[in-house]
Amino acid sequence: MHLMSSKPQALTSIGPMRAFATNSKKISTELIEINEVLRGFNTHYTEYFKQLSETWNVAQKKVNIKVPEIPQDVEHIESLKRLWIDIFDNDFTELFDSNKFGENYGKLVSKELELTKHWNNITNVILQSVNLPSKEEIDEVYKEIHSLKKRVAKLELELKKKEAKYAK
Amino acid sequence: MQSESNIDPKIIEEILKFSKNVIEAPKLVPAPDEINLEVTKYDIVQEIDKTRLLHYNPLTNKQHKTPLLISYALINRFHILDIHPEKSWVKNLLLQGFDVYMLDWGTPTSMDKYLDFDDYVNGYLDTYVEHIKNESSNEKISLQGYCTGATIATAYTALHPDSVKNYIATAPVIDGWRDTTVISNLAKHMDVDKMVDTIGNMPPEFMYYCFSVLKPFEQGIEKYVKFFKNIENEKFVDSFLRVEKWLGDTPPIPGELFKQWIKYIYQENLLVQNKMFIGNELVDLKKIDMPIFTQVAVGDHLVSPECSMPLHYAVGSEDKTLRMYPTGHVGMIASSLSQRKVLPELGQWLTERS
Repeated sequence: MHLMSSKPQALTSIGPMRAFATNSKKISTELIEINEVLRGFNTHYTEYFKQLSETWNVAQKKVNIKVPEIPQDVEHIESLKRLWIDIFDNDFTELFDSNKFGENYGKLVSKELELTKHWNNITNVILQSVNLPSKEEIDEVYKEIHSLKKRVAKLELELKKKEAKYAK
Repeated sequence: MQSESNIDPKIIEEILKFSKNVIEAPKLVPAPDEINLEVTKYDIVQEIDKTRLLHYNPLTNKQHKTPLLISYALINRFHILDIHPEKSWVKNLLLQGFDVYMLDWGTPTSMDKYLDFDDYVNGYLDTYVEHIKNESSNEKISLQGYCTGATIATAYTALHPDSVKNYIATAPVIDGWRDTTVISNLAKHMDVDKMVDTIGNMPPEFMYYCFSVLKPFEQGIEKYVKFFKNIENEKFVDSFLRVEKWLGDTPPIPGELFKQWIKYIYQENLLVQNKMFIGNELVDLKKIDMPIFTQVAVGDHLVSPECSMPLHYAVGSEDKTLRMYPTGHVGMIASSLSQRKVLPELGQWLTERS
């Protein structure tokens, strides 16, 4: 009783509260960094939709020039739909094929991955606080299994060759 | 007071009919799990990890001596080659007397994230080729690769030319720098190291995004308008739903393989320059010296003809044929045109060499 009352920290030495302060600091740092990444993400996200809406406007203007009045019969409406789809598909394919779209989209995905990375880091802190393996540790196991499988396959092949040789 | 209107009453009629079709659609069409995409019967002759080797049951009494192995793409599943009894690539080849095998790459999980080109080319594909050679008592087989499956098959053929008697490359992904599709533009700007390190395998959702930017209005609007307009046409609905089900089911791609794919094919373009290494061995396309048949679709918006055709010129074969068809990526393998033109031409070419 005397020993326990004098060392209250010993009560939290094996549960999730272990190293609480250190874990909180790590999580806070990750959250601060997430905010910074979010700023970059929002910039590329806005640019992404800006490019889409600009392309939409230009394509719609092209359609309006070609068909200034709304058709009143089925055949003309069908032609308008065909024209609309062709112009929109062409303009959007041109956009998706452009360097400016590819570059911004690449950066947008990259920022999204950074957010995921921070989320993974937070999860790792929590996993380790309850003595569970982190993503990196599981990856190590996967890598080891992959390498072992390759070695086994190689050995099996060699064995097969030797068996075939002796069979002759 | 009477309002004047020039609107054709047929428009109202069309709108009402279309709305009725939309409402009645759930009663008229089967649910996706009611559609069976496996048309032709097969036996599973070997399984390694999540991959399977399928052997189709023969449909003729007499068969050509050399068996044919199809290396399907890594995106979506092999069912597109046997999607409908009237449009089945596999069934057509069986009816022409070929002994057909199919490689099903299966569904990789997180555990498979380290699988790479070496595992696919020198591991799975090589093991299955050896199995077919032993089973059929042939020293060589015919190999067909489709789309990304053709990239793997091309690398295999270059590394193991002694095992391949005839090689058929259907819309192969070869020259990433010449590819004019949206996919190649996205791939060129991708930080693939960061992507794979962070998320592991390439998730199907990312593939769906890539598909969605290919002809977005034709594929995203017109296709479905056509579907609802033809909701009472059983044949049309059946074909439509089969392809839709196939489109909506793509497995993840192992992270390491995806990383190498984007870097070696689209960013650094190593394969066509004979600079790509797989398992420490150089892939030299000049070593492909057997008869080769390259099939390209002019309207292919997934793998442009410019990306596929360089294979024809890069190989060392003297007996080589290049065919271009006025259709698209899927149209080349699963359409009435493929039954009428593509498959008979392939069958004739292969018969002369089998």
